[in-house]
Amino acid sequence: MAASLPMRATVPAAGSGVKQHASWSPYDDNGGTVVAVAGDDYCVVAASTRMSTGYSILTRNKSKILTFNPKCLIASAGMQADMETLHKVLHSRHVTYQFNHRRPMGCQAMAQLLSNTLYHKRFFPYYTFNLCAGLDEQGRGAVYTYDAIGSYERVGYGCQGSGKELIQPVLDNQLKAASPLVLPAQQWLSSLPLEQAVDLVKGAFVSAGERDIYTGDDVEILILTKDGIRTDKLELKRD
Amino acid sequence: MAVEKRVTSPLLEPSSIEKVAEVDDHVGVAMSGLTADARTLIDHGRVESQQHRFTYNEPMPLESLTQSLCDLALRFGEDEEGEAGMSRPFGVALLVAGWDAEGGPVLFHTDPSGTYVKYEAKAIGSGSEGAQTALQESYRKDMTLKEAEVLALSTLKQVMEEKVTATNVDIARVAPKWHLYTPEEVEEVIARL
Repeated sequence: MAASLPMRATVPAAGSGVKQHASWSPYDDNGGTVVAVAGDDYCVVAASTRMSTGYSILTRNKSKILTFNPKCLIASAGMQADMETLHKVLHSRHVTYQFNHRRPMGCQAMAQLLSNTLYHKRFFPYYTFNLCAGLDEQGRGAVYTYDAIGSYERVGYGCQGSGKELIQPVLDNQLKAASPLVLPAQQWLSSLPLEQAVDLVKGAFVSAGERDIYTGDDVEILILTKDGIRTDKLELKRD
Repeated sequence: MAVEKRVTSPLLEPSSIEKVAEVDDHVGVAMSGLTADARTLIDHGRVESQQHRFTYNEPMPLESLTQSLCDLALRFGEDEEGEAGMSRPFGVALLVAGWDAEGGPVLFHTDPSGTYVKYEAKAIGSGSEGAQTALQESYRKDMTLKEAEVLALSTLKQVMEEKVTATNVDIARVAPKWHLYTPEEVEEVIARL
């Protein structure tokens, strides 16, 4: 009697049932490219204004640059929601800093603060790729480049976001700046005159816009000098 | 900064009296009053200063540091959750001296009320009336470090009952880094009086 009972429950053969996998990610890649070039007495920062998800363009006009003061700003690519939150956090920290210390935050202070802020979320990171740029205490251009969890380095120029792989090698080739950490110390600020640097950045964006579907529409360009911030705009293809 | 260490007994070890202290390598304090209370303030200042370096990778501005010391000075009488708060105000006045990245040398005076005022030259403590008058007469904005050493020590000498020696005074400077003078260096300044 007992022997006639099935010893095992019958299992459907593999592949017969439809396997449903629920997947949801808290992250989205909204694309975008940011570039910064530091010179002896200037800093050029540029960011594309397209915001996409997948094959859809969500808007053609989303600024990715947050300007704190005439000598310090940050530009972020990656996920828009995280960028927005990060910018809000840093903006509020900058306001508090001014109340406490009666002066605007310098570029190197903001660079360290951004690193700490990103590392604070080491195990659920902001999905943002940032550049902190501006002018240092001596009035020279300053660019700091980051990974998503706050590791950072001061460099002569930097590029982050969806067009990074296309633009960074062009800047490496044209600016040839070594890291300031390389010994013996080398010239690591861009030796280009300001106008040539702006043209280089524009050219790089035009090329990236041809190949990267997440880089397009407009490029917002900020030029920081001791006289203040000048803005410029470059129109890319809207396809 | 020059301070007198009053040696009240021949058996007292003068090097155990500390009236100047380093807060960070760009800030020092000289104290007058209940020096034990100053320890609490200095410890607080050291933490604040390191915290600032951690967050912003820059030395803390002197005024912000002084403000945070004064904030602590006003925290007496408050009920802290779980632990006892401070029962009484601090009984100590401080001279907070340091170097600001942009402004250069800075000096602040704080008192037990939690007020702070910026000075170019200031004397505190039992001989402060006489010493402040002496400073007012001789202080010049364009003094060199060597002249300032002599002014500080000679001012102290005028109000000290005992003879100035390398054991009963301490001298410290922040120019632009903190340095506490060795007995030999103090000796050298005394020789220039």
